[in-house]
Amino acid sequence: MARSRRTARTSAGVAGLSMALIAACGGGDGATGGSGEFDVLIHVENTDVPAVLETLAGGACAAESEAAPVTVETVPQTNLDQQLQLLAGQDGLPVLYAAGNAPALTQTLAESGHVLDFEQALSELDAIEHIQPAAVSTIEALYGGFNALPLEYNIEGIWYNTALFDEHGVSVPATWDDLVAAAKTFAEAGVVPFSASGDQGWPITRLIGNYIFRSIGPDALQRVADGEAELTDPEYVEAAQAVADLGEAGYFGRGVGSIDMDTSTNEFLNGNAAMYYMGSWALSDFADEERNAIGAENIAFMPFPDVAGGAGHSGQLAANVGLPLTMNDRKYDDDASAWLSCIAENYGSTALEERSRISGFAVNTPVDDVPPLAQQVQEQIEATDETVLWFEALFSTEATITSQTNAAPLVTGSISAEEFMRLVQDDLD
Amino acid sequence: MTTVELHTTHGRVGGGRQQRRGARRWRQRFKRWPAHLLVTLLLVVVCYPMVWLLLGSFKTQREFLENSVVALPEQWNFDNYVEAWTTGNFSQYFLNSVTAVGPALLVMLLLGTAAGFALEVLVWKGRNAVLLIFLVGIMVPIQMILLPLFTVYFQTGLTGTLWPLIITYTATGLPLTVFLMATFYRAVPREVFEASTIDGAGIVRSFFSIGLPMMRNALFTVGLVQFFFFWNDLLIALTFTNSGSLRTIQVGLLNFSGQYGTTQYGPLFAAISLNIFGMLVIYLVLNQKVQKGLTAGSVKG
Amino acid sequence: MEHVLGDKRSVAILVGPALLVYTLVMLVPIIWSLGYTAFEGNAVTGFSFVGMDNLTQLAGDRKVREALGFTLRYAAVITVGQVLLGYGLALLYVFVLRRYSSVVRTLVFFPIVLPTVAVALLFQQMFAIAPRDGLVNSFLNVFGIESVDWFGSGGTSFLVIAIMDIWRSMGFYGVLLYAGLVDIPEEVLESARVDGTRGWKLVRHIVLPLSLPVLVSAIIFSINGTLKVFDSILALTGGGPGTATTPLTIHMFQTSFAYGQYGYGSSIAFLLTLLCLIVTVFIFRASRRDLTKG
Repeated sequence: MARSRRTARTSAGVAGLSMALIAACGGGDGATGGSGEFDVLIHVENTDVPAVLETLAGGACAAESEAAPVTVETVPQTNLDQQLQLLAGQDGLPVLYAAGNAPALTQTLAESGHVLDFEQALSELDAIEHIQPAAVSTIEALYGGFNALPLEYNIEGIWYNTALFDEHGVSVPATWDDLVAAAKTFAEAGVVPFSASGDQGWPITRLIGNYIFRSIGPDALQRVADGEAELTDPEYVEAAQAVADLGEAGYFGRGVGSIDMDTSTNEFLNGNAAMYYMGSWALSDFADEERNAIGAENIAFMPFPDVAGGAGHSGQLAANVGLPLTMNDRKYDDDASAWLSCIAENYGSTALEERSRISGFAVNTPVDDVPPLAQQVQEQIEATDETVLWFEALFSTEATITSQTNAAPLVTGSISAEEFMRLVQDDLD
Repeated sequence: MTTVELHTTHGRVGGGRQQRRGARRWRQRFKRWPAHLLVTLLLVVVCYPMVWLLLGSFKTQREFLENSVVALPEQWNFDNYVEAWTTGNFSQYFLNSVTAVGPALLVMLLLGTAAGFALEVLVWKGRNAVLLIFLVGIMVPIQMILLPLFTVYFQTGLTGTLWPLIITYTATGLPLTVFLMATFYRAVPREVFEASTIDGAGIVRSFFSIGLPMMRNALFTVGLVQFFFFWNDLLIALTFTNSGSLRTIQVGLLNFSGQYGTTQYGPLFAAISLNIFGMLVIYLVLNQKVQKGLTAGSVKG
Repeated sequence: MEHVLGDKRSVAILVGPALLVYTLVMLVPIIWSLGYTAFEGNAVTGFSFVGMDNLTQLAGDRKVREALGFTLRYAAVITVGQVLLGYGLALLYVFVLRRYSSVVRTLVFFPIVLPTVAVALLFQQMFAIAPRDGLVNSFLNVFGIESVDWFGSGGTSFLVIAIMDIWRSMGFYGVLLYAGLVDIPEEVLESARVDGTRGWKLVRHIVLPLSLPVLVSAIIFSINGTLKVFDSILALTGGGPGTATTPLTIHMFQTSFAYGQYGYGSSIAFLLTLLCLIVTVFIFRASRRDLTKG
């Protein structure tokens, strides 16, 4: 998923060769069965993956770790795409690496032979059944192929404060109009209806994307990507206008453009805001008793509501695989395939148990005392057969950045909905 | 005319007449209060943010996001510092920064001063052309040379060491050093060097015996400038450090940003405070030395 | 006299090493990168030759035009601010504080030492409006002025950037220029004072001309720094809101490494280099003329 382009607050890179034949001469280390090391490159912000890999190395994957110990290198997320490009240019990518902030970059890397075809690799290892179908469909929709590992799997929607809903007599909105009416009720009562980070931008453009999926249909943005439709078409502009109207009415609270991620989370967790659009990765914040003043029992999840007369419906859940990791086809040898097999089998349960992180892998070892919210999310995922992506998922990096940086000006009224869509469309052309 | 006193660098008050001195002191005090006010204001503007940083290093994430910006921390413990030290691995980063910046600084100063001397004092064809070539280096954005340099460092197997940083810093600092040193030499009368070379000393020797020592002051200034450039550089360090064990302090500071755009403010501030107040101590020690050097062997004349 | 200070071997020994290092590490990569301006693509996909396409595209690119405009505005404001305040500080050190200036010098110099990331964070907090008013808005409210969403519009964001960067660097320029002022011979000042030249007139007619070489290097230094601003804006506003505060450097970096258009990114860098070159040569020329007159 596309995230901040800011520096650290501060707070600021790649084919399907048939690998069975290639495996033996994978990393160019001659004809040995393995390179004897399993090197990983990941963005420093992701602490889950290194921790889970370490646990696996000491437990379920001890044999693999013996043959090829894990070495993790980290790079700040803002610098990830640059490093991936530089390394790929020198053929220096490690075995397992973060796929890049931009899906477009991952595709470029795949085209130049730096990405493993997991469909084929996992089938050969008889491990394909460890991947949840919903996760595979999300990855395929995003990358045009099974090119990344769903080490995390998130659904997105609106988290709401049940106590505030009860207090102000608001029922869970079923349609967009209900949602706007609910926001009006809250605003009049002095509660901020939506907490959102305009500084990041994407929490706001997510709303535009969801509106489009509900009003035009789940293939609406694929059509834009294929050039069959333009964002400047009236039905698309309508979505940006709907979100701009929320901003104009002041439903995002004051100074939305300056609100960073942490602040928006806290506004919701302190009970200052009634609703918060976010992915299920926020569960770890909700579970943090230090931060969560309203209590996890007072938080519930609703999918993005229907738009009256629209072609999509709320059963089509927005989902993403976070910033996924992928494997380097050119270094895929016996050691790497042994690791892949072990990860597919054990990652799901270990991540859930250790980090309460929901992944796209099957949970093969039952995990006790999963928090109720996490259980709710898991049930949602299991009940979902069709997923949609997000607004910028199929955009070029340039259009993604344009969209996210102009989200705040859109909701503060500095630019109109038409201008917003025009700016993004210009970068897509 | 009494105010002449105010403008002499060694304002020794004329001996004797006590009464007049008292009166004069009064008048001086009266005349000087705007200056005092100005300096006080200046110091508040400069120091308050740093004090705020220090206070911030004791706050929890919650306090950062909820309490007033100007509030004092609710507790005075060193949790954030411990967190910063453990997450931050700062002793290693500090060592890396020193290892990368130190040699680069020394080599750059020596080469840059020699070139500046040759470009300004010596007479030869092509001087201006060479100076202009160096000037180009001041102007080119560093972003431009990253890709070629990365390719070269990678192919020569230098990635994975601190050499790319040392080499890049040395080279990128040269143009400015050459330019500034040339400017400083411009102020020196040529006769000084002409006399020494006529004495029989070779030009290179006279550079080392006269040209280099006379620039102590300027060297310190330029060295200081470049030191902070290198020390605070993020772009080069980010591009050429591909492993955790090679991070410089600035890259290390990026460790405090979480996933999905969150920031661990407390530990970040603690890390910055460590960084800053460590620097302050170093700077104060150096500054004392420099002040001594300035007063003892004045370069003038 | 030429034969005395014109020994070719000595010149080679003194200039050679610096020129060699500089050529290998900077000049060659610069030319290498310039070569990319005739190509499109990136390190991953490989490059393909497009000739002059990048440069013609550059001429009609709205984003580049906006970034160029911002860069020029920023450079003008910040350079003037830095050098003027720095010069003011230097005068303060030399003529008012004199021997007692070292503590003040040290403290005012210090912000340049702070990591950019930290300073940006600090200013974000000071100018915050959400979730609560920061220092500046609280201060305004005391005087009955409405809170301002500083980072909500391009104009106010620019103001914060300017305040931050000048705050960071004025002490640094103060020290740089102080070095030039200290070297003014005391006798010159003394004789001027005997002639009754004081205060502003002394500065205008005596101090300014004598400190001109250092002042010119400070201006050249400053303008080249400000035209190439990168870290501080990236850390403070990320170029936002929208692209209102995106300078050429950030736009170039994104184009090369985020959008994967290295050739086009090099073309933007080329434009920036050209800009620096013109400005510098202009200042350099002007100062050389002054010096020969002086």
